[in-house]
This record gives sequence, structure tokens and C-alpha cells, in this order.
Amino acid sequence: MPSDIPLVRLVGLSKGFVKGKETISIFERLDIAIPSGDFIAIMGPSGSGKTTLLNLLGGIDRPDAGEIHIGEQRIDGLSETELARWRAANIGFIFQFYNLMPMLTAAQNVELPLLLTKLGRHQRREHVKTALAIVNLSDRAKHYPREMSGGQQQRVAIARAIISDPKLLLCDEPTGDLDRGAADEILSTLATFNRDLGKTIIMVTHDPSAAKYARRILHLDKGRFIESELAA
Amino acid sequence: MMRSVLLQIAAVTAMNVKSIPQRFWLSLSTVVAVALVVMVLLTFLAMAHGFQRTLASSGADDVAVILRGGSQSEINSTVSREQVQLIEDAPGIARSASGKPLVSSELYLVVDGIKRSSGTKANLPLRGIGLEGAAVRRGITIIEGRMFAPGSNEIVVGKGLTSEFAGFDLGATVTFGTTRWQVVGVFSADGSVFESEIWADLPVVQSLFNRNNFFQTVRVRLENPGAIERLRSYVENDPRLKLDVKSEAVYFAEQASRTTDLIQRLGWPLAIAMALGAVAGALNTMYSSVAARSVEIATLRAIGFGGFPAFVGTLIESLMLALIGGLIGAVATLLAFDGLTTSTLGASFTQVVFSFKLTPSLVAQGVVLALIVGLVGGVFPAVRAARMPIAAGLHA
Amino acid sequence: MNDWMLIGKNLFRKKLRAALMLLSILIAFTIFGVLAAFHKAFTAGEDVAAADRLVTVNKINFTQPLPIAYFNRARGVEGVKQVTHLNWFGGYYQDPRNFLIVMAVEPETYMDVYGADLEFPAGMRRDFITNRTGALVGKAMADRWGWKVGDRVPISSNIFSQKNGSHSWDMTIVGIFDNRTPRLDTNFMVFQYDYFDETRSFGKDMIGWMTIKTTSSSLNDRVAKTVDQMFANSSYETSTDTEKAFNKAFAAQFGNIALIVVLVVGAAFATILMIVGNTMVMAVRERTREIGVLKTLGFPGGRILRLVLGESLLLALLGGLAGIAVATAATMALSRSLANFVPGMAVTPGIVLIAVLLMLGLGVLTGLIPALNAMRLKITTALGRS
Repeated sequence: MPSDIPLVRLVGLSKGFVKGKETISIFERLDIAIPSGDFIAIMGPSGSGKTTLLNLLGGIDRPDAGEIHIGEQRIDGLSETELARWRAANIGFIFQFYNLMPMLTAAQNVELPLLLTKLGRHQRREHVKTALAIVNLSDRAKHYPREMSGGQQQRVAIARAIISDPKLLLCDEPTGDLDRGAADEILSTLATFNRDLGKTIIMVTHDPSAAKYARRILHLDKGRFIESELAA
Repeated sequence: MMRSVLLQIAAVTAMNVKSIPQRFWLSLSTVVAVALVVMVLLTFLAMAHGFQRTLASSGADDVAVILRGGSQSEINSTVSREQVQLIEDAPGIARSASGKPLVSSELYLVVDGIKRSSGTKANLPLRGIGLEGAAVRRGITIIEGRMFAPGSNEIVVGKGLTSEFAGFDLGATVTFGTTRWQVVGVFSADGSVFESEIWADLPVVQSLFNRNNFFQTVRVRLENPGAIERLRSYVENDPRLKLDVKSEAVYFAEQASRTTDLIQRLGWPLAIAMALGAVAGALNTMYSSVAARSVEIATLRAIGFGGFPAFVGTLIESLMLALIGGLIGAVATLLAFDGLTTSTLGASFTQVVFSFKLTPSLVAQGVVLALIVGLVGGVFPAVRAARMPIAAGLHA
Repeated sequence: MNDWMLIGKNLFRKKLRAALMLLSILIAFTIFGVLAAFHKAFTAGEDVAAADRLVTVNKINFTQPLPIAYFNRARGVEGVKQVTHLNWFGGYYQDPRNFLIVMAVEPETYMDVYGADLEFPAGMRRDFITNRTGALVGKAMADRWGWKVGDRVPISSNIFSQKNGSHSWDMTIVGIFDNRTPRLDTNFMVFQYDYFDETRSFGKDMIGWMTIKTTSSSLNDRVAKTVDQMFANSSYETSTDTEKAFNKAFAAQFGNIALIVVLVVGAAFATILMIVGNTMVMAVRERTREIGVLKTLGFPGGRILRLVLGESLLLALLGGLAGIAVATAATMALSRSLANFVPGMAVTPGIVLIAVLLMLGLGVLTGLIPALNAMRLKITTALGRS
């Protein structure tokens, strides 16, 4: 159950982009609070700013104005290096096209975030084994991405995203490239993380059936949240 | 059918060439690599050729050089007065206007000079020549001053020598040990090795260098080139004359070959090693080129273009880059080195002044090397372009 | 897995491309190694010349002779520890093309002057001094011809002949000497001046040059000046200089070898710099998205920079060390055939050190631009998610 304490708090968030001589605004003074343990699906037409919002939440982009609070940390003023360190400890990203390193095995891909910690070789190996077991890919540990299906690759990506035990999981169209069966598998895994492990998940999607796996659906249009409904 | 293939080739080639600017820096690095290879090769070849030319043009067919049997060069030879007199009576020798045989008995000594370019010491040849010394040789003209007067401490110097080594300008006084000499003339000798020499009167050299009655070589002008045989049998039939008779042309050719062989034996392996490096670079560039245009190539093939035009188009691209590199290398060598004079130690342990000389035939060798690099560097990527599976290329 | 594994995996992603880059680096360093070894051997005369040895030659030119009387006079000069005299023999063995370095020397003083550099055990000393037709042969020359102590060999001269007309002198090998420091040439032979002078047909009582060992190298200048002063204004004036300076001037006569070596090696390195540099830029650009992902995972910019630089350094070191290995093998093969011209050609530790420094420099130069690009890459641009 989501707690009352907000994990994510956006205050007066503004972001625009420059096109020719004009600056076009994506959001202006956006405010929102997302409680810890929530599972949000964000939907909206293209150009509505869903991707930008996710970038800002993950600290891979900077707002033009406003505050971003994740847990106790305000991240909009941090330097690049500080953001990197913060991201490694707090955020897990899952992309539409998996973004695995093609020349590394599944296990090595999952191990990558741990290279940013002080864990020793044995400990890292143990963590990897656990993560792969959680996504049911222990038998694929030594395989390369090109030897795996889309669904399997995405599961490796999920293992990589959770291995550092992040506070927040950000997913950008995680099932956009998968068939129905694989998509359902991924989505139920995410739902399990949220339900059983209390992970806060924010998922951007255009697929209504994917959105149903979340607890709440937010509709974003022209930089404003216009609707909020509970998922069925 | 043929026309269609040619049109396809033209289309693919044009596409390849037009896309070079997208891979500008990588293509440029291939051009530069080939240019440098060609420069290294041509520089060594020009050096060897220039050296050989100097020595080869030094030898006349109708001048015979007579040395002690077994001497490899003038400086090692000794000839006695009796032997000189016997030679003056030999058949086949041309005569001067006054009826005297054109025979010059000579002394070849080494003295120190200072190289202008480095300021370091150099071995220079001082040749004591007889009265007929200049007449025996071909192409000797005094271009400044005059010939030395017999019996005097006067010397004339070759124009190559005075340009490379300091202190031998017209009118200068030169000291060898305790003896002092005055430069009264500068001579040209058709670019031959004699232009690297200092000439003085033989009896004066003999007395001042304590070599009285001592000779080293005899030079003889023959009636005609064939007369050397008569001279040779005359010498061979006289047991007092243990001497070698060689035409000057042969003598200098032998001297040149040792040094030119060395230069070429250094230059070619070096150029080939660098060429291998350039091939690696060219392969790299061309494989990248093929990969970058894999979508276009596959699309053309999906439309119906054959594999052969893709092959030819890629190969032409590679050859073109290599050819441009080769020409740049040749022009750069021409501008930087052609005509540059320098000197090095020749066979007689004395300096030989020569200039780097590039000829069209040498340039052709350089261009051929460039084209080989372009060929090897292009053929394998070209095969890949021709055989690319269409589907894979389209989805690249 | 660690950063180095990541670097290695990135480097060898496209095996053919990596192989080609390694090959071009290998070739450049092979060229460097061989030419550096050649240059070092060529100028060895300079380096291994003892600091306390002077060479006295005829002032006109070193090919002109000196009277033997100068020998005793030089010995009397203050600061002189020992003097020996030598004559160039112009030697060959059997065929005039088998050129040998042979000198006629004063036996006892020769071994005194060169005893610090070459080993002359007591027995060998005695045999050389007492045996009129005896000769000492250096180890390298003895190995080349398979000569042993006790062999009688006829050595010919292309300059001198005996009074009886023959060009050949019969000599008995009474000792084979070795060097005390590895780079000193032992591809030569010495025999007794007396034997030479008594039998030769011309040039009697004339020597080629003298080598003087001073009591201290600080006295070199003074001794040199005194000797030359002593013989000034005579028919045979002398010029005395350190052995080092003499060898250096002689090498310089061939031409500016150092310059040629630098230019050729420079050309080879310029080539690989361009080729490898461009390829690295291209390779890293292909990985833009992955770099974005790494940064998203939390890899800081500095670490990304190190990963890319590590790749170019690894490439340079692998290719370079392989190139030096090939150069060492090539040099060993060449050194025998070039032994007369440049003795002791070898890739020395000093050359390897310079090569490693060059490798590091090459690695940094080829990796710097792509590394900086990667470090500064904006994540949103890299992921194509702007």
C-alpha cells in the first residue's frame, strides 16, 4: 500500500525547448506529489512531455525552473557528478529498447551498476545471481543479448535496474517492443515488485492494457495533468 | 547487357565518391598514409638514383683507368715510375695535338674539409694530376678563374665541392697540414664525381706530401672505346705490369653500385613496411565506408543492381583515394627533395657530392606502389559490399 | 568483471577493425625499433669510447701516415699513461669481398691502452708479445669464421703487398679476446707491427695513428694540446682529439643519419596517429547510446573518460609491444649481415623504454578527443531522447 509520505515531489516545475528563435514550453509550473510505494502509469499524446518528465525525475535532464524532491534529496541543483552518484543509488531505468551492452553477457550487464559500488567480486556475483533469479533468467546468465528474445532482454534490463535496490523505478514504454505474451510477463513482474517489495514505479506508456497493471493512471496533455484515475 | 552493367557501375561509383565527405577525416587519413609511404620510397630512390647518376656520368668509355692489380679503388693503388713509362709506350692511346700520348699519372690523397651544412669534418679528395690531366677527361671546363700553373701551389676545385664544403671559394687560401695552397679556379665536369675533387699539379703534391716518385693511378685517353682491349693485352703480356685496366665507365659503375645497393636495400623494405601499415589503414577506411553505406548498397541490390557494380564501385573509391595520396606524395617529394644536394662517404673514403634526382620512371614506381595499396585495401571490402545479404543491409 | 574487462570488450567488439589498428601500430613500432637500433649501433662508437682515450692522427687527414718516431716522443708527454700505435691493414680473407677489420699494432702497449675494455688474460698477453706472426682475433670475428686458437690463417691486404710481391700475410691466432662491456665491437683483429713493417714493400717506418691513454680524463685537453704542439710546423703535423669526438665526426661523414631516422619514424607515427585517431573517434561515436546508458546508470563523466582513454592506451600498448618484439627479432636477423657496417645492432632496454613512452603518448593522443566527447555527452542527446 502506498504510504502517505511522498517519495516524489515536484514544485513549480518548468521546462521548455528552443525551436529556432522561439522557446516552446513543455511544462510550466507543474506541481505533483507521488507517494512512496505507488505504481503510476503516465499516458498522453506524443509531444505531451511524458518522456521529458521521466528524464527530469531520473536526473538525466535539468528543469528550467522549479524543484524536484526525491525522498529527502532535492536534485534540481546537484552537479553532474553528484547526480550520477545519486542516480546509481536511487534510480533504476528501464527503456523501450532494453539498451543492453551487446558485447557483455546477461550476467555482466546486470553487474554493471555494481561496478559503481565498493562491493567485492564475490559479493557482486551473489547479487547478480539473486537478481537473475528474481526475473527467472538464471539459465541465461552467460548468454549475449543477441542470443535472447526481446522479452528475455527486457528481463535482463529489469534485473539490472533493481540490482542496486533503488528507491524509484522509471520505465519508458517498457513493453513497446514486445508481443502480448512477453509484455504481460514484464508487467506482472513490475507489479510484483511494487506489491511485494514496495518499489515505487513510474511507467510511461501509450498502451491502455499495460496501464491497467498500475495502481493509478495520470493523463498528461500539453504539460498539465488533466486526469487521474484508478487503474481498473 | 554490358551497357547496363556499366551504367550500374557508374551509378554506384558516383554514389560512393559523393559520400566521401561524410567520412572525410577517415578518408583523408588514408590519403595521407599513402602519400607518406610514397614520399619515403621516392626519397630513397631519388637518393640512390642521384648518387648513381653522379658516378655513372663520371665514367667515359674511351678513358681507361689503370690501377694496381687487386685494388678496389684509387686510394688503395700504387703504380711505380717504371710502370708509368711502360704504359706511355702502350698501343691504343690517343695523342694530343703536339703528338704526346694522352696519359695522366695521378696521386689520390685525402685531406680534411668542413661540411657547410653540419660544420663537421669531411674527407675530401686531393688529386695530383699530370699536364694532360684535364685533357684526358671529357667535359672539363673552367667556369671561374683559370687552371693552376704547373709547379705552383695553386689548386682548382670542382663546383660541387665548393658548394658543399666551406673555405674553397675562388681566391681563398687553403691549408693542408703545413702546406698552403691558393684556389685559382673552379671547374665544372658535367655533374660527374670529379666536381667533388680538388686538383693540383702532381709533382708539387708529390713533393709536399712526401710521396716523391710515387703514383697511384694512371688515366689514359683511348683512340676509341674498342682500343681498351689492345691496351689490356699489352699490360697482361708484360710481367712487370701487374695492373688492372678498366674503362672509366666500368670503374665508376662498380664504385656506385655498392652505395646505391645499400640505399635501395634500406629504402625498399622500409617503404614496403610502411605500405603494409597504409594497407591496414586503407582496409579500415574502406570497411567503414562499406558499413556506412550498407543501407544504400542493399537498397540498390534490392532494386536489382548486381553485386558486381557494388564491387567495382568500392574498389574504384579505394583506388582513387590511394592514387590521390600517391600523387600528393610524389609532388611533395619533388618539391622538397628534387635537386637537393648533399654528400656522403663514397668508396674511396672520400665525400661524393650528389643531388637527389627524381625521374618519371621513379615516380611511376611510387604511383604503382600507391595503387597496390589501394587495390589490396579495397578488394576485400569490395567483396563484402558485393556479397552483402540484402536483408541485413536494409535493416542495418 | 571490472573496468579493464569493459575496456577490453569494447576494444575488440569489431575484431577485424581492432586487428587492423593493432597491425598498423605494430608496423610503426617495428620500424621505430629497427631504425632506433640501427642508429644506436651506428653511433655506438661515440657512446662506448672511453673517456680517457685520445686519438692522434695526421692533421691533413686521418688517412695520411705519421712517422714512427712520434710514438716514443708522445710517451714522454706529461699526463700520458700509455701510448700505442696502429696501422690500417685493409684486410680481407680469401675473397676481396670478405672485408675484415685488421690493424697492425704495437702489441704490449695496445693491450695496455685497451685493456680496460677488452679482456687480455696474462697467458694471451705473453703469447701475443712473444709471437712475431701471432694475431689476436676478437670473439665476434672468430665466431664468424670458425677460427680457433692455434689456427694459421692467411690474411690479405687490398692496400699493401709484401716485398716478395704477395698480398697475403700468414698469421697464427694466439688468442681470442672478448669485450668487458657488451656493446663493444669484437669483430676485428690485430697483429704485430714489426712483422708488418719488416715485410711490406712500401711505407716503412710509418704508422697510421696513435691512441693515447691519459692518467685522468680531466687532463685530456692539456695532453692533446701538448702533443699537437710538439709536432707543429713539421712535415707531419698532428691533430689529437678524444676518441669519442673522433668517432662521432667519422659517423657524421656518412650523412645525418639521425635526421633520416627521425623523419621516417615521424612519418610512420603521423600515419598511425591519423588512422587510429580517426577510427577511435568513429568507434566511440558508434557507442553514443551506450555511453548514455552508462551515464544513466550512474557512471560519472570522469570514469567514462578513463574508459575511453584506457581503450586507446590498451590498443597502443598491445600493438606497440608486439611491434617491439618483431623489431627485436628482425634486428637479430639483420645484425649478422650488417655486422661489418654497424656492429652490435640490437634493441636495447633504453630503446624499449622510449618506445613505451611513445606508446603512452600515442594512446593519449588518439584517445583524447573521443574521450572528451564521451565525457561531455549529454545523456538526453545520447539516448536520442531529447
